[in-house]
Amino acid sequence: MFQLEQLIVHFLLNFMTREELNAFLRDPQQTASLVGSLIAVSGALLGTFLLLRGMSLTSDAISHTVLLGIVVAFMVMDSLFGQKPELSSVWLIIGAAAAGVATVVLTELIYRSGLVKQDAALGLAFPLLFALAVIMVSRFVDDVHLDEDAVMVGEIGVVWANTNSHCLENCETATITPYDPRAKLTRQCVNCRELGISPRDARAKFTEICANCGEYSPAQAWQAGLIQNEPILVFWPKSITVMTVMMLLTIVFVIMFYKELKLSTFDPTLAAALGFHPALLHYGLMVMVSLVAVGAFDAVGSILVVAFFIIPPAAAYLLTDRLPLLLVYSSAIGAAGAYLGYDLARGNFLGLIQVSDILSGLNDLFGLDLLEKWDSSISASMVLMIFFFFLVSWIFSPKYGLVSTMMRRSNQRRSFEHQVVLGHIHHHQGRVTESDEVTASTLHCHFHWAPAKMQRVLRQLQALNLVQIEADLVALTSQGETHVRTFRQTQLSNETVDK
Amino acid sequence: MHKISAEDRRVWLLIGTTALVAVLFIPFSHIVLQVDYDYTLRTVALGGALLGVVSGVLGCFAVLRHQSLLGDALSHAALPGVALAFLLAGRELGLLLVGAGVTSWLGVYFIRIVTDTTRIKQDTAMGIVLAAWFAAGIALLAYIQSRADASQAGLDNFIFGQAAAIVARDIQLIAGVGAVSFVLLGLFWKEFKLITFDPEFAGANGFRVHILSMLLSTLIVVAIVLGLQLAGVILMVGMLIASGIAARQWTNKLGQMIILSAVFGAFAGSTGAIISAVDADIPTGPLIIVVAFLLVIMSICFAPGRGLVWTLLRHRSDRRRFAAQTVLHDLYHYAIDHGTLSTAVPEAFLVGVHGPTTILGLRQLAGRGQVQQRGNTWLLTPAGIKAAAKDARNHQLWTVYRQYSDELTLPMVAEDRQQDIRNCLPNEAVEKLEHKLNSLLTQQSSGM
Repeated sequence: MFQLEQLIVHFLLNFMTREELNAFLRDPQQTASLVGSLIAVSGALLGTFLLLRGMSLTSDAISHTVLLGIVVAFMVMDSLFGQKPELSSVWLIIGAAAAGVATVVLTELIYRSGLVKQDAALGLAFPLLFALAVIMVSRFVDDVHLDEDAVMVGEIGVVWANTNSHCLENCETATITPYDPRAKLTRQCVNCRELGISPRDARAKFTEICANCGEYSPAQAWQAGLIQNEPILVFWPKSITVMTVMMLLTIVFVIMFYKELKLSTFDPTLAAALGFHPALLHYGLMVMVSLVAVGAFDAVGSILVVAFFIIPPAAAYLLTDRLPLLLVYSSAIGAAGAYLGYDLARGNFLGLIQVSDILSGLNDLFGLDLLEKWDSSISASMVLMIFFFFLVSWIFSPKYGLVSTMMRRSNQRRSFEHQVVLGHIHHHQGRVTESDEVTASTLHCHFHWAPAKMQRVLRQLQALNLVQIEADLVALTSQGETHVRTFRQTQLSNETVDK
Repeated sequence: MHKISAEDRRVWLLIGTTALVAVLFIPFSHIVLQVDYDYTLRTVALGGALLGVVSGVLGCFAVLRHQSLLGDALSHAALPGVALAFLLAGRELGLLLVGAGVTSWLGVYFIRIVTDTTRIKQDTAMGIVLAAWFAAGIALLAYIQSRADASQAGLDNFIFGQAAAIVARDIQLIAGVGAVSFVLLGLFWKEFKLITFDPEFAGANGFRVHILSMLLSTLIVVAIVLGLQLAGVILMVGMLIASGIAARQWTNKLGQMIILSAVFGAFAGSTGAIISAVDADIPTGPLIIVVAFLLVIMSICFAPGRGLVWTLLRHRSDRRRFAAQTVLHDLYHYAIDHGTLSTAVPEAFLVGVHGPTTILGLRQLAGRGQVQQRGNTWLLTPAGIKAAAKDARNHQLWTVYRQYSDELTLPMVAEDRQQDIRNCLPNEAVEKLEHKLNSLLTQQSSGM
């Protein structure tokens, strides 16, 4: 990881100065938006396939149970190697991925028994694994960095603060040994606690320990005042590396197995028959979901990451029918939500509405006592922005949106009304019954329509120059005749029409 | 008065036993585990039991309607309601729960209209509600926490559940609201049963399926909202459905399933709470889930008739029972295919075809005097040839039955070649089959 970061830093320094880079990385908004959109793109790509395979909620289950993997890996590392790994440690990520797969396997085991439905099996498996994880955390793990709060609700606003420092120039490291003149030696009582005595007691035995011995990286050495020349440093947030790796893995996975994923999603039977191992692919997908979920943990927490898997693909699903576009749209929606979410958390909705104005309005209207400064969770606001995009595409999608559906329906209704009226006139025109059947004032009776409705339809037909009304008698124009004839030929060609 | 069947008696017995074990667990835990029954534990255990009953009863419908994960979505969707109610009205449990109920219910409604108006499926719609509503809740909580006063402490409990926070007033609330929802359930029993098992039929008969299913979902929301304090938003789904799934294994009757589920829920709720009191570090909600899951495992394994253990045992005994028959069949056909009926068949061949049960089958046949061993091979005795021929004839009759049962207008029975067809069909039907088989055989031999 560290070497990889170094490579990226050196690469980026070709395009910008060190100061610019540091300023960018130290800006909470830039880093939060960047990490947010990395998560969003990875989530959206995988989520699209989950959506199409009808297993959106599996991502929910997996994102919860990765906690179990993290806890188990943490306990193993702690007891076997005496290390307390960080959330971004490779071992914890592997443990989490294993737990994600375990969830899927457990669900399938329960489901295969044939006694429990699929959704119920999922609903049994993940609360159990999560419950086990919570019990283990509270019972065995005593560490500030690992509690269920930290894993459930991450805070993306502080990812800029958790950094690795990369030194470019004046890279002096420092080592202090107990024999160094700079070493701070203190005396510590070795048997005080054992015997329950105070250090002043005569029986107390002491040993000398060094308080500041050890290796110092350039940044630490400068901070401790051990070196003269200030090192030139770049502070690189760890989350960016983790999520970049996850996103690249996801993209490589999707591109490499694009054909296989597509086939096994839309026609699993054919995929199996052609020897594409849909089951293997299925577990591969699950591993990727677990990896992204655990990578996103300290940034957005394990519940909100579900939103990045489910909502952008759902929004894109309403916009297009083509898989490549689906992938592109959902990534774009996720990334846009992540970028605009930061402003929402600071109370600025797309630059249009200030949340503080709403709050003060509420205070004025109802005499409430709400704090008028909106400063909220960034990751939650990103999700809310993505949800807003879902609402927009639900309402305004040109193909499946509420508005276009409504317009299509009303168009169909209007064209149906036109056709029946034209057909009726055509049928009775030039016959003896003409004066009964096709007078403008009584026409509505034949359809059991309200008179106003019939008048509206006639007006529309007149405007289209399909009928004309002379002395209350409705007649087709020549254009109307052609219209009816074409309609009969195209729409009713299969039925026998007697005239 | 109708007679109580053995199956019913078994279910009632199980209900009684579970209740008894739950009651006996109190002195047991007091003496063996040294649990101290102080006021807090009594309250929490009683609360756990009550919540187990409420969610057990209402969860049955979620399970049967294939909406198990609805519980997950709705428990998350309750969070913004809690936060909003707190903002508007302060810390008053009743109002917080009302707020939770309102936003969960909006979640149900959102799922309905999204699935009705778009091609998005129900599970995705649930996922959207889960994530978006929860995000709104987190955003509101973060806003609340940015205020400097401490009155918001404890709102987090709704995320993870905090059993110790349950006090006597909460129990009265749970009992009261639970009772009201049970009364509603009783009033609409017939309707709920109908829309659960056959919504199309219900719709065709003029029941307002949409309204009824919204009412039922509302009751599920009530169960979830009540349970949030104890189990928290994540584990609530387990609390809701686990006892229902366990109960489903034991019975096919809705009434029995619901009562059993209530008892299971009460058992998990109370014993989970009591066990967690053994050590202060063990959280109550997760332990209740673990107990409930153990009940599910037990039911899946041991439920009479459909339990995994019984299925496994039945398969084994079937294999043993039919071992002889299968081996006889193989011997007969091998011998015919290799010329005469007196051909000896290598044992290794038979074992290769049917595995370890072959030896068992051969021993059974030898005991009946139908086969005899010659070195490493086996040979049919005259008695064996007779039995095998009869069996082969039986197979042929079954084959004819499968092909021609429509043509010969024979009664429908399940095909089971291990059974003698004469025991499965009436005599005249068997005669028809024999006749057909004979004519087929003559056709075949004349055609050759």
